[in-house]
Amino acid sequence: MTALLALAVLGTLALGAVFAVAMDGRIAQLAAGFARQRIETEAPDRLNRDLAAVWYLALAAAGLSVVPFAPGLALIDSPVGIVIWGTCEALTIITVFLHGWSSNAPFPLIGAYRYVAIGLPVMLPSMFVLIAAALPAESLSLPAIVESQRGMWNVIRQPLGLPLFAIVVLTLTLRGPMDFADAADIATGTSAEESGAARGLWEIARAAMLVSASALAATLFLGGPLGPVLPGPVWLWIKTAALMAIFAWLGRRVARTTPSRMLTILWIVLLPLSFLHLAMAGVFAL
Amino acid sequence: MTDLLVALLAAFAVWTGWRVFRVDSMVRASFSLMLSFVAVGGIGVLLSAPYIGIATVFMMAVEMMVMAIFMVMFMMNPAGLNPMSMVHQHRISIGAGLLAALALGAAVLLSPLPSNPVLSEADVVAELGHELLGPSMLIFETAGVALLATMLGAVILSSRQGRFGNSDEGSRPPGLTPEGEPAGRKPEGGGGHHHHGGHG
Repeated sequence: MTALLALAVLGTLALGAVFAVAMDGRIAQLAAGFARQRIETEAPDRLNRDLAAVWYLALAAAGLSVVPFAPGLALIDSPVGIVIWGTCEALTIITVFLHGWSSNAPFPLIGAYRYVAIGLPVMLPSMFVLIAAALPAESLSLPAIVESQRGMWNVIRQPLGLPLFAIVVLTLTLRGPMDFADAADIATGTSAEESGAARGLWEIARAAMLVSASALAATLFLGGPLGPVLPGPVWLWIKTAALMAIFAWLGRRVARTTPSRMLTILWIVLLPLSFLHLAMAGVFAL
Repeated sequence: MTDLLVALLAAFAVWTGWRVFRVDSMVRASFSLMLSFVAVGGIGVLLSAPYIGIATVFMMAVEMMVMAIFMVMFMMNPAGLNPMSMVHQHRISIGAGLLAALALGAAVLLSPLPSNPVLSEADVVAELGHELLGPSMLIFETAGVALLATMLGAVILSSRQGRFGNSDEGSRPPGLTPEGEPAGRKPEGGGGHHHHGGHG
């Protein structure tokens, strides 16, 4: 069963990443990227430059491994599954920072520092959303959170949860309004000095993180593998794919503002909103 | 198997802890320290304390990211990639390090450690929650309020705006050479130092 679940995690990650890249219409671009030559910068931090994409991919896999594919069946069935996911989020911020920092060049560095400035305050609403989702289940375990949604999905009883989590997903996957790391306004930021297979792997890891974060959003808010007729994994895949499409659409349609204004929005608007969300979830759970 | 993993993680924690002082960049030092704590968190998980173990990794990830930025800022080490030494005040720090190691080592070796295996069916996470919000509530909340006060204090101290005007008014960044021109921003209004032509 463990081998089957491991296969499900890896298969979901691989197929989902292909789906994510296809939604962005970038398959040809990505494939061509692998044929290109690599760029060298002066005195880079080689360890982190070469491994940042690998860590990003590993964090996506670790995050997906706590998601239950059928009621009560997760590869890592930890009593603190949701905390493991939170840890993956925090380490993703560091990975993106190291990706930009390691090439020792201006644009990647600006992207790295800018991303951290935005990414750290995003962690706060993220934690409140995760805790709120755990409240009705009275457990930090993801299978228990799925079970608690048998009667009613969290998306209904915690209406602010999914919109707040969407911001977290866009931040973790460097997309659209939250892409302060790899945006076009700083010449693709942390990836500016990267080409060839390394760049390709980074893009694949970014797509894989979208799969992982969407699967988690489906588990937290849409009941994960719960659903009639079809088997659990199929429901999870359908919900994950739908959420991926929504997040990709949001990434394309919502404009990005300046980092300073985004910081104000995060601290003054979204953080109090997440307090309100947690309070509402608490009152509802009582 | 668990014993071997604990030993490997402990060795990794010590090695990455040692790397903190041997690397030449604040960013590398911060994340070496983070790896050390990740190993300690792993040991926590293996000792049947999953919440404390994973939360250690989570907290240290965020904390070390903040620390890396602040250290790069205060050390004036552009971007944290310029080589610099991580050690200073050698004699005092060697003395303090030896003393701390001996004291902690003695504490570990001399105190009677309980042998109290956790039952496999025990719900350790729930028990921890009851402990934190029950008997240990006062300690927990005191620490929380103290940390909040520290954060507010730090924000107020570092704020540029103040009751008597901007905090950096009339301040002059240190020179690139002793008594030399400061790097980057030039002080407003001269401040008694003459600008000798040419570039700094």
